Amino acid sequence: LTGASDNTATGVRERPAGPPATAAATATAILFATAAARDGGPAAALRWEGEQTVVARLIDQLASLGIRRVHVVTRPAFEDAVRASLGAPDSDVRVDVSPSLEADLRLIADVARGSRGGVVVGLADIVTQREALAGLLVDPRHPTGVLATAAGHGRPYAPRARSRRGRVVSAASQYHVVDTPNHRFLGVIKLSPDARDELAAVAERLASLAAAPPPGWIEELGSKEHEWRTEASEPEGRDNTTVEIDEDELEHRLAVAPDDVTALLFVGLVRSGVHLGPSYVRRLYWSRPLSERQVERARVEITEHDEDRELLESAVKAADGFFTTFFVSPYSKYIARWAARRGFTPNQVTTVSLLIGLLAAAAFATGERWGLIAGAVLLQMAFTTDCVDGQLARYTRQFSKLGAWLDSVFDRTKEYLVFAGLAIGASHQGDPVWLLAGAALTLQTARHTMEFSWAATMHQQIGAAEHPPLEEPRDSAGVKAAARAAAKAARVEAAEPAHTVEAAPAPEAPAAAAPSPARHGGIRRGVDAWTALDRHPRALWVKRIIAFPIGERFAAISIAAAVSGARATFIVVLAWGGFATLYSLTGRVLRSIAA
Amino acid sequence: MTGTLATYRDDGILARALGAAGRRIPLPPAILELLGAIPLVVLLVVEGGEVSNAALGAAIAFFILLAGAASGRPHTDRIRWAAPPLLRAGEYTTTLFIGAAAGASSQPAAFALICALAFRHYDLVYRFRHQGVSPPTWIGLLALGWDGRLILGWVLLALGALPAGYFVLAILFGVVFVGESVASWLRFVGAQQPALYDDEEDIAE
Repeated sequence: LTGASDNTATGVRERPAGPPATAAATATAILFATAAARDGGPAAALRWEGEQTVVARLIDQLASLGIRRVHVVTRPAFEDAVRASLGAPDSDVRVDVSPSLEADLRLIADVARGSRGGVVVGLADIVTQREALAGLLVDPRHPTGVLATAAGHGRPYAPRARSRRGRVVSAASQYHVVDTPNHRFLGVIKLSPDARDELAAVAERLASLAAAPPPGWIEELGSKEHEWRTEASEPEGRDNTTVEIDEDELEHRLAVAPDDVTALLFVGLVRSGVHLGPSYVRRLYWSRPLSERQVERARVEITEHDEDRELLESAVKAADGFFTTFFVSPYSKYIARWAARRGFTPNQVTTVSLLIGLLAAAAFATGERWGLIAGAVLLQMAFTTDCVDGQLARYTRQFSKLGAWLDSVFDRTKEYLVFAGLAIGASHQGDPVWLLAGAALTLQTARHTMEFSWAATMHQQIGAAEHPPLEEPRDSAGVKAAARAAAKAARVEAAEPAHTVEAAPAPEAPAAAAPSPARHGGIRRGVDAWTALDRHPRALWVKRIIAFPIGERFAAISIAAAVSGARATFIVVLAWGGFATLYSLTGRVLRSIAA
Repeated sequence: MTGTLATYRDDGILARALGAAGRRIPLPPAILELLGAIPLVVLLVVEGGEVSNAALGAAIAFFILLAGAASGRPHTDRIRWAAPPLLRAGEYTTTLFIGAAAGASSQPAAFALICALAFRHYDLVYRFRHQGVSPPTWIGLLALGWDGRLILGWVLLALGALPAGYFVLAILFGVVFVGESVASWLRFVGAQQPALYDDEEDIAE
């Protein structure tokens, strides 16, 4: 038997739709049915539909994704109820009884050491759609990852987290807090076979802490009530009204919070440097109902989320350029669905896109007006097809490393072939522009190299980041912020006596005492303000347009070539690209200096 | 110097040797590269395609000297990410400059050559990102590094072997780079190796 990631990572794109059932075949799932329902009994054993319970439904979903070895962990008092709730599953399910959080963690360590494949750790009482789980469990791009949501509202009780560049850098739990969160953890963790040893070690370490929770943990747990009350009262819209909180529910959530082993494990893994990628549920449904009434509501709400439609919507890349988002994706996703139904693979679509790009270059190479116009149209067709392949891959979850490489390499090939075609066409017209074409290629390649080098630098920084020990509830940013606040308070205190002496000069010493924040404070504040602009959608779009992403580039090439010709095209590409380079270079130099 | 940024630099033997000597120069690599490019930029602006072979050769030598020395500096400074793109800009621009100096008929040949080089430089990144490995050492040696390619380009110019020399290089490099890359993917897909590097979706691509 090979490990789970051996099967998923290469992701051979054979199936026209749906993830391969064998993807996670060797993984073991550990589901925790330890939370009590508000009406008594374990929440996982609440009825979903007919005789099926919440946990039985989840086990069926996992089985459909190839995970057929499941441990259901519960408390002694819930054992009978949990056993009865399982029905007659197809999977190999065993019930483990664990008296405490500490024992839960030791059990995870034992399973991690004893299993041969990957390990999935999750809450047994969550209600979500199969495709949301598939996004995490079958995506080869996340060998280890967590189910997450980036939505700003709803799900107030799910632990917060912060990610950068596709990696969770800070996590919260019932006992931990995140300084500047940007998403939430939804109770499922996937670990590759390679990460099992680390998982066991982390679980053991957490178990010894959970046996006698450190004072900092207890204090943090105590402050959750206020935090959750605030979050639960935030409405879905952006108006200033508040939502009336269901006090019974808040109290119940607080009561079950200490036993959330998944959140604690999440923090432990992040702090030991395990690379966890957040897999966002996007528009798919997720909830954790802890009462019959909440299950009822979930049953109604989940039907409002048409799985196929939401999956198609979610297939559109979350952060993309302006032109792509508003002029291509709205219809290319339907082409992607059509392609999925006809059984086309993403790699086939990628290849078709390259061929259309070749035709566009050939049309440009004629240098005639009709050729320039035809080339412009063909280039847009090639670009649309290029968007389709990614959407098709996300929609049908047929990711592959080769596919990603082909997509990237063919994109560059198309662009530079078009440059060559335009230059050949211009030569036919007696206006050689080879140097301009070369300059455009140089600028674009240097720009990409800067992106790659910047990304490599960021990855290196994130990977090398120090995390506080698990006993510390705050993350490193929180600890630093507290230290800065303390230093500031000390400075104010030190500066205070100076004010009492009228003749004393302005106190210079404090500024020198804290060199880094003081020296680069202005730049830092400027960069922060600039980043804060991203919260305004319009400002964010302007920034993205300035950056001259591929959609804008191809649109600019098409329009300039069709309207004028090769020379104008290269001038537009050089001017816009040059401005984009200066813009991002300035931002990054400032960011680097202020860091 | 090792690591991802070193791979992106694509240094040749000469640059590495200079880097060993220049390890102690207390300047960030990106700054050294910028300083090294000054004579080239001045020549490009003042002389353009009319530049003499000797002047161009001296400017290229200066660039190789400083940017090569930069290769030995630890890329740990705050603007380390600027070193590889500056090197690419310097290399491609100089390649085009040599083509322009050789006359109009060499310009398409220079374009063809930087197309072949671009394939290698993107492949360095994408293969590492999606396969988790870098191209083998022998292909790095065969590619000569940016320093070796610039010297070879100038020698071809001095020998009057342009544009033919550039076209031949473009074809040779193109065949070797693409061929080796395709072969590596055939092996990779055949062996079904687990991937190591997380995919990243850069919006600016």
